[in-house]
Amino acid sequence: MFNALRTDELLLGIARILRRAAASEGPLDGFERSLALSATSVARLLASEQRALPGIETETRRRLDLALAADARPLAVASRAQIAQAPDAAALGEVLTALLADLPRPDPLRSAVQGALRWMADAEVAALAAGPEGVPA
Amino acid sequence: MSAAGEQAAALLRSLRGSTLDGVGDPVRIRAIEQLEGGWSRHSYVATVEDADGSTRRLIVRVRPEDTVLDSDLETEFRTYLALADEPLATPRVYSYEPARETPFGGPFFTMEFRSGAAANVWRAPDRAELEADWNGDRAIATDFVDQLASLHQVPTGPLDGVLETRDFAASVDRWQELYERVRVVRDPIVDEAYAWVRDRVPTPVAPALVHGDYRIGNCLVDRGRISAVIDWELAYVGDPRFDLGYLSQPYETGKFTRPGSALLGAVADREWLFARYEQRTGAAVDREVVRTYTALGALMLIAIMSVGVRVYADGGTDDIRMAWSRFVFPGLRQDLAGLMDW
Repeated sequence: MFNALRTDELLLGIARILRRAAASEGPLDGFERSLALSATSVARLLASEQRALPGIETETRRRLDLALAADARPLAVASRAQIAQAPDAAALGEVLTALLADLPRPDPLRSAVQGALRWMADAEVAALAAGPEGVPA
Repeated sequence: MSAAGEQAAALLRSLRGSTLDGVGDPVRIRAIEQLEGGWSRHSYVATVEDADGSTRRLIVRVRPEDTVLDSDLETEFRTYLALADEPLATPRVYSYEPARETPFGGPFFTMEFRSGAAANVWRAPDRAELEADWNGDRAIATDFVDQLASLHQVPTGPLDGVLETRDFAASVDRWQELYERVRVVRDPIVDEAYAWVRDRVPTPVAPALVHGDYRIGNCLVDRGRISAVIDWELAYVGDPRFDLGYLSQPYETGKFTRPGSALLGAVADREWLFARYEQRTGAAVDREVVRTYTALGALMLIAIMSVGVRVYADGGTDDIRMAWSRFVFPGLRQDLAGLMDW
């Protein structure tokens, strides 16, 4: 979820490689072939991500909200409101980093937030492994 | 002159201007071919004709302008030079061209061609080959750990002035500073992992040569034996346990989105490797220290790959492999969460 490069930027990158391959005279050399294969891989991974990401983000937010709702400290209350207003995953990452930096170690809320992030990390990898067809690994 | 002709001329000039052992008496470059792979360095294999009519191959290692890592090519060249007489499988270097504008797209050095191929642990057939070695005579596995034990015992005196010396805190600082400089988005798992690593300062040990990127993919394997340990661009003098932690990452087993080999580094059983390392070095392997360095290894990979992503995002390169590395982050993030017992 906390991933750099937007979908449009990645699609443009794939298009550049396709154009270059189409303009190439003769067979591709090893280096050009590795670029073409990387572009194919980016396309498949992006498709897998696009398929799963909305669901992962919704569930991650739900788990975080559940954890924060159970804590009455001002930091938790403020963070809960900020998460609700965070427009995208990048903004969510900023809020969570600030929250974790301010929580004591150890702390039940810290553990709960970490649990939600662990779920998100596992779900994201599972989604990429499932491929654009969505077949579970 | 064609691009290939200009490369050949530059290469010949570099070799003829060198007095290092093994440079020979080159008179002509017969062929140059770029090799597959190479993220922070581009590599070429050149066929060189000597004055006596004989031919041989050598490697040209180039630091391109849009590299993912701002590591110094001259340092890497001098590291190879300093290790030439050590009991390590490192190729000899022949010449160094420091100019930024060359027909190869950056400064380069030349080195001995060693037979063999580097395993790509993200490819199932390569993993199967390594597993067959482990289930067979374990020659690759044995070479792999013995080379690591040997490099950790290289006297560091000759490396003074060549390699940076870095303690634990400096190592963490290096990757965190780089990450903070180039990151495109904020990742709470990465930020937490840096804090977790900083809380786990290992008991210091005597500084040693650290390869910095020790994995089977940076070894050439020829007929079932390791013929060369290459890619020394991340080497430094510091805690040798970094190499053990780094190669203990799930990523280095060939994990990407699916699990990789069950073997450590896709090469050997974890406890066997550590036991043999202990036997060869006389140093006990503290598993918790290894765990700390495993996390730091993952953070290092994220920092380095973030450079490529940043360069790509800023339009500094259209090398799609830099963008591809963004899909490595979820797996590394998952590994970090696991290492921290989340």
